[in-house]
Amino acid sequence: MSFGYTSKKLLYKNLSLTIEGGSIYGLLGKNGAGKSTLLKNMVGTLFPVEGEILINGKSPKKRQPSFLQTIYYIPEDVFIPALTIKQYKNLFAPFYPEFNEANYYKYLDELEVKVDGKLNKLSFGQQKKFIIAFALACNTKVLLMDEPTNGLDIPSKTQFRKLIASIMYDDRIIFISTHQVRDLENMIDNVIIVDNGDLLLHSSIINISNKLCFKTVSEIPANAKILYKEPMLKGAAVVMENINKEDSKLNLEHLFTGVTENPALTKEIFSAN
Amino acid sequence: MNDIFEFKRFGLLFKKTITERYVQLIGITGLALAATLVIYSAVLYFTGGMGRNLAQNLSFVYGIIGGGCFLGSVIFGYFNTNASGAAYLTLPVSAFEKWFCGMLIIGVLFPSLFLVFYRLIDSCFVLFYHNGLNKNDPRYKDMYDAVQVYAFNNNFAKQCVLIYANFASAMMLGSLYFNKVSAVKTALVYGCVLALLYFLNLIIANLLFHNVDSAFPFDAVFIKVGNDVGILGLPDAIANLVQLAIQFIIPGILFLTVFIRLREKEI
Repeated sequence: MSFGYTSKKLLYKNLSLTIEGGSIYGLLGKNGAGKSTLLKNMVGTLFPVEGEILINGKSPKKRQPSFLQTIYYIPEDVFIPALTIKQYKNLFAPFYPEFNEANYYKYLDELEVKVDGKLNKLSFGQQKKFIIAFALACNTKVLLMDEPTNGLDIPSKTQFRKLIASIMYDDRIIFISTHQVRDLENMIDNVIIVDNGDLLLHSSIINISNKLCFKTVSEIPANAKILYKEPMLKGAAVVMENINKEDSKLNLEHLFTGVTENPALTKEIFSAN
Repeated sequence: MNDIFEFKRFGLLFKKTITERYVQLIGITGLALAATLVIYSAVLYFTGGMGRNLAQNLSFVYGIIGGGCFLGSVIFGYFNTNASGAAYLTLPVSAFEKWFCGMLIIGVLFPSLFLVFYRLIDSCFVLFYHNGLNKNDPRYKDMYDAVQVYAFNNNFAKQCVLIYANFASAMMLGSLYFNKVSAVKTALVYGCVLALLYFLNLIIANLLFHNVDSAFPFDAVFIKVGNDVGILGLPDAIANLVQLAIQFIIPGILFLTVFIRLREKEI
């Protein structure tokens, strides 16, 4: 598909992407890279100018109820009307047939969202946690989250990661967009990196670990394909091609910087068998 | 699942619309009704009870058109922020159901509520007036007959309803084009369009006739003849067509465009 806010300048041109069920995708990109735009195209609040997006065989552009009740989108800024927790559930939950009331209160409890009055009086972070709890309780097959950890304190981010891991099932797709890459560590199993509308990387964590090695070296090996290097007190932290099939711990921040700075080398490493 | 219309889903949407935004919807309706009562009373007060027909007409026109315009501008007023716009567009209901919900409020509920309220206050004022008359006064019958309950089928009321349909539909459409302060922006655009039509008509009339006094948009040109002003109207068949356009075709197109715009709305 192609998309642009004006017909003359396209943000995404001929983007081709296949998302598989049962995965948590991390959509990474700098500010203004087009992450939110991609999510909006997926949920149907923006339409591609060319091509088509299909989610479980349905076109988001049509915004059919049968499609919308299987997808929940949490935008970066959330909107909460002047309702209580119970009123919100009573008004919005009936639109989602798989909504689970017990889980709703459980998630609210786990995220420590407690309010007796109207939800719109809550802080931004609390509102965001409320919407996350509601979205998870809706049990939709697809869950799209745009910068969900923005505004969350450190304990809430930890709780968020635990919750996401606990609600995953076989054919569910969770898509999390963020520029705070550390928030996604140990949570996602697929990485998509976009920049200026280009898809720089789309790979599983397993494949990334097979292709790349993340380590600290005292000297940069000669002739190694270095995707990223960062000088440290003793040596340098590097992301390099994993030619010796070493096991290493993925560093999303280093991966992201390396991929956005060296898209050509990324393509070369990931296209090699 | 029917992706166009389901009664249960529509019921949920309607309940959500009213409950979620009761301050705006019920507040504007309440204000419109209160303004109607205030205008009616104020005109009676300032005319010393003599301007009863004026009070009826003024309160009717400002109440229904003013209230309808403001209500029309907030009915789809979800798009002043990305978050509320996205929440509205991704709610699992069809575009038709959203449109129909707006139409029900603007086309049925508000006018019905207004007419019932208006009839109630008007009847009270008229009854109060009739009871206050001196039955021994020789002008009693004339004075009694001079003030009657407002007839909703009089020509002025009919014109008000036509203007209401045109303005409210334009306001609904405007709120889907202008995300912020849509009521003001739509009113400006609507005013500009009417002014353009008026002056265009005047220019064309001046090209065709001499001594043009004014040219009312759509159907009449006023020509000075000596000290008098004569009206040059359209032939009956074409005049009827123009009336038909104002009564049904223009609001119909506007209401239909609201649906199309709602279906195609991006945020």
